[in-house]
Amino acid sequence: MKKFLAVRIVNILVTLFVIATVTFFLMKLLPGSPFDEEKLAGLSDEDRMEFYARYGLDQPVAVQYAKYMGNLVKGDLGISYYYKGQQVESLISSRIGPSALLGAQAALLGVSIGLILGMIAAFRHNTMWDFFTMFIAVIGVAIPNFVFAALLQYYVGLKWGILPVAFWESYDSSILPTIALSMMVIALIARFMRNEMLEVLQQDYILTAKSKGLSQMNVIIRHTLRNSMIPIITILGPITVSLLTGSLVIENIFGVPGIGSLFVDSIKVNDYTTIMGLTLFYSAFYILTILVVDLLYGIVDPRIRLTGSKG
Amino acid sequence: MRKSMKLLALSMLALVLVLSGCNFSDSSNGNSDSKDGSKDEKKTLKLSLENDIPDLNQVKTTDGISFGILNNIMEGLYRLDENHEAVPAMAESVEISEDKLTYTFKLREGVKWSNGDPVTAADFRYSWLRAIHPDTAGSYAFIIADYVKGAAEFVEGVATDSEVGIVAEDDTTLVVTLNEPTPYFLGLTAFVTYFPLNEKFVTEAGDDFALTTENILFNGPFTMTEYDQAAGVKLVKNDKYWDKENVGIDEVSLKVIKENSTALNLYEAGDLDRVYLSSSDIQSYQDDKEFGTESKFNSWFVQFNLTKAPFDNVNIRKAFQLGYDPEILTAQILNNGSTPASGVVASGMAGVDGKLFRELNPDLVTPNVEKAKEYLAAGLKEIGGTLPAIEILTADDTIAKDTATFLQSEFKKNLGVDVNISTKPYSGRLQAMRDDAYQMGINKWGADYNDASTYMDLWVGTPASPLRGHYSSTVYNDLVAKSKSETDEVKRMDYLLEAEKALVVDDAVIAPLYDEGKAFLQNAEVTNFTIHPYGAPLELKYIKKK
Amino acid sequence: MTNTNLEKYEVKETEGVFREDSFKVVGAKKESQDTIARPHVGILKESWLRLTKNKGAVVSLVIISLLVLLALLGPYMNEYTYEQTDYDKAFQEPNGEHWFGTDKFGRDQWTRIWEGTRISLYIALLASVLDLAIGVIYGSISALVGGKVDNIMQRIIEVLVGIPNLILIILLIMLMKPGIFTITVAMVITGWVNMARLVRSQVFKLKSQEFILASRALGASNGRLIKEHFIPNTLGLIIVNMMFTIPSAIFTEAFLSFIGLGLQEPLASLGVLINDGFEGMRNNFYLLLYPTLVIVGLMICFNLLADGLRDALDPKMRK
Repeated sequence: MKKFLAVRIVNILVTLFVIATVTFFLMKLLPGSPFDEEKLAGLSDEDRMEFYARYGLDQPVAVQYAKYMGNLVKGDLGISYYYKGQQVESLISSRIGPSALLGAQAALLGVSIGLILGMIAAFRHNTMWDFFTMFIAVIGVAIPNFVFAALLQYYVGLKWGILPVAFWESYDSSILPTIALSMMVIALIARFMRNEMLEVLQQDYILTAKSKGLSQMNVIIRHTLRNSMIPIITILGPITVSLLTGSLVIENIFGVPGIGSLFVDSIKVNDYTTIMGLTLFYSAFYILTILVVDLLYGIVDPRIRLTGSKG
Repeated sequence: MRKSMKLLALSMLALVLVLSGCNFSDSSNGNSDSKDGSKDEKKTLKLSLENDIPDLNQVKTTDGISFGILNNIMEGLYRLDENHEAVPAMAESVEISEDKLTYTFKLREGVKWSNGDPVTAADFRYSWLRAIHPDTAGSYAFIIADYVKGAAEFVEGVATDSEVGIVAEDDTTLVVTLNEPTPYFLGLTAFVTYFPLNEKFVTEAGDDFALTTENILFNGPFTMTEYDQAAGVKLVKNDKYWDKENVGIDEVSLKVIKENSTALNLYEAGDLDRVYLSSSDIQSYQDDKEFGTESKFNSWFVQFNLTKAPFDNVNIRKAFQLGYDPEILTAQILNNGSTPASGVVASGMAGVDGKLFRELNPDLVTPNVEKAKEYLAAGLKEIGGTLPAIEILTADDTIAKDTATFLQSEFKKNLGVDVNISTKPYSGRLQAMRDDAYQMGINKWGADYNDASTYMDLWVGTPASPLRGHYSSTVYNDLVAKSKSETDEVKRMDYLLEAEKALVVDDAVIAPLYDEGKAFLQNAEVTNFTIHPYGAPLELKYIKKK
Repeated sequence: MTNTNLEKYEVKETEGVFREDSFKVVGAKKESQDTIARPHVGILKESWLRLTKNKGAVVSLVIISLLVLLALLGPYMNEYTYEQTDYDKAFQEPNGEHWFGTDKFGRDQWTRIWEGTRISLYIALLASVLDLAIGVIYGSISALVGGKVDNIMQRIIEVLVGIPNLILIILLIMLMKPGIFTITVAMVITGWVNMARLVRSQVFKLKSQEFILASRALGASNGRLIKEHFIPNTLGLIIVNMMFTIPSAIFTEAFLSFIGLGLQEPLASLGVLINDGFEGMRNNFYLLLYPTLVIVGLMICFNLLADGLRDALDPKMRK
């Protein structure tokens, strides 16, 4: 186990290094520069290069890369080009809070409701219950969440006045965006859960357990649930990461000062340091989650060996 | 396994609790304010910002949102009034020399920074030099460097700061020497880059300058008490401001709301006092008494690339220039207070003798499909037969895309020409134009000051720039150069008028579209809301609320 | 064959006529001793039969066919084309002239919706086929070969997921000519990753199960294992995941168009129409409603059909 972890951590560092490298060079291929304003665009090439030189952007990409990596090793993500003067670290840390809160709540809400819906559908296979829950699940993916969010905002926020329309001012402000975000999760989890449960329920050991007189509840918890978790955990990892790292659309609709829009905006305005910082943050988070998922596999299903080599 | 799942669920719950605990820090202040009951006396205004606030460092910042906030927490020598005319602000008066090159500003007595320090002439000199020094400057350095004597040399590094024409003779006297007579210079001093800075404070703040409310000093009508780049700002009336009696609002909140429909919902819920409407909402509100439109000196036009077929032929350019009616676009599609343009200089721009520039240079381009067809036929003959495939380049915002769709359909309908649209993100479009990878592109230019030269300077092609379609005409360049050195205002304007004619009519380098407008709803209790059509748009000083 | 034999046998039993000469010793056939599987029934045919018994699936199939038909023929059912503008008729509510109303350019929404459906269906189809091909193969190789190969393949996935999609997509569209195919390729670059991870985890799970061990012990080849056990047993999961690929493909495309990297005006997909409709949902709800209805209808039917397919193809459901 210790060896496994050590190997994985080295792997993670290598992966992050590769990601940083690839992203850096790809990013430099993006059209435009961080200073693409109409005002600067009119400058002659010479004047513009002079301006770039102040930021070291006139040097060959390889040199810029070496410099960036050097600073990165020292833990310095640099200063944003767009949010001028702002350290990328502090930019990320000031934005991650609201996104993470929404993400965590949405994951919690989505997974619990999704699991319940999925189980209901599976146990009441081919009944109205099944159809109804799956209908909800389909609606959850088929209606874009921005439409759903806007409807929530219009009715719950404006027409009925139950919750704030937007802004990020009190805990109440987080409720509507959480619900809007969790729709997709509910749909996904319910769908997968139903599928897995149906499969597991047909397995012989369930029949054995039942015939041994185990109560329905016990069968569900001890056998069915546990054995249905593998694919759920697999998709849960990436979902959690994408939830915690924010959703551009939901944040914009509810006026949440989160990290989701920062990502898209930074790419659009070629804010190199912010792109790199967010990429590293996101991929480190993602890879760690995958590690946790792999560890969970072992716990959920002892048959899966952690070395992953023999299966 | 059940234990571990429980653990996972519990840790998620714990995470939620921790996060919700450390999040909404602003809320307590906000709530207690409204509970005090002091609401009746306090006049508050609730506004929204369309995007994040990138940077409040006045010498570096470049965007309209930051400009708008800075304009209300700081103040330059002059300030634009409700009619967008420059009026004395930090300066009490100015003396202009005979040759119109030397300006001697006298500062108002007793003007103070928010920390109590007096605002001095040295503060202006320090700030202006900072704005053009290569180590500290941003991309707006030109707005000082282009005008002040010795500034351009200072930027290049061939002159020292003592050779720059900015001299603080004493605490209240600032003498500025210009390169050329610049009749709109006073208007420039109202612009953000010309605001003063307190050297001692800036040095102490160091790298943190302007990043938090504590690290920025105010000398404008308002001070800033809350600042979050992604959430917004809260402004409070500045009791050290020299003209505080005329500031009508006690408190202004400006919150970032990027989504149009959200802002509209907030407005209807009474959480905002003013909201901009998207084009699809305008129809339903335009008879409302809260409805209004405003226009900016932000001209949209089609830039032809003079080196790319078929637009290397002047007749074909003219055909495309006349082949659509921008009035249909503004009246039926945009429908937001934008006004059709017949030239490139914004129609509200000042001319001379109390007349607008456009009044002196009317109807440069009058849409005419028949004529357009004639030009097209003539052009086709000259280039020998058929048109190549034509693509129109546009940015990806709704207005630009709608404009492109309109042009595409009009060219098809009126000229029988198929045009493809190529949509690119903001910097992608600029890059494509700079790289000469376009035939015709939808472009716009926002005026920094109220004079036609802000437009005419763009096409002075030495060397010819792909962004401006490679236009390089000696006639045009001469006219613009003559306008620069001319001291007689009427003659100067004549040169500019001629220059626009050469650009738009004779050479058909651009095809005019419209001056950008915006439609809004505004709380009926709010009056005197001022949006300047150029420079820093947002002006909160004069607003009154019942 | 097995089925028919059984039926015959049952018939005889109910008749209850057993005579001595009803049975005779045939002895073990040498050549059949090695065979461990029951004879092949036409899997597809049998599945099809089972599918047609599922009411939901049949109805869905009919509706999907109908929508596809409308996507193909709808644009030609009135005199308008999807690009034809008429500024005097902007923002018309649905009426006899324009069945689904008009947009801000006065373009006929009916025509645009079916044009859009056509494009969206094509994109969804292409995306899911690529997703299926790359994701399933990648995931199963990773899990079946295991060891170092699996390790490396998983690292590649991590790198792919770690690099922001938007950067990859923007670059790709800069390099290739913008168009439907480019958009699809851009989406597929990372779209298959989830599928690969799911298939991998499922195959891992299967690998350690007894019936695989039994099959292997009986000398089944790898190819046979994949064909007979792994594929049928992961099919349900694959189909379910594909049901999510389709809407996410449709909406990713809409997002790309939204930021100017996707379809160029006047072309529109369902996703683009929904995005446009969203902008005006306060006052022109019909612009949002109809394209959303089409997408929801498609999705529900796809899902019901997929459920039916899953059951029909599931080896454990065979009788």
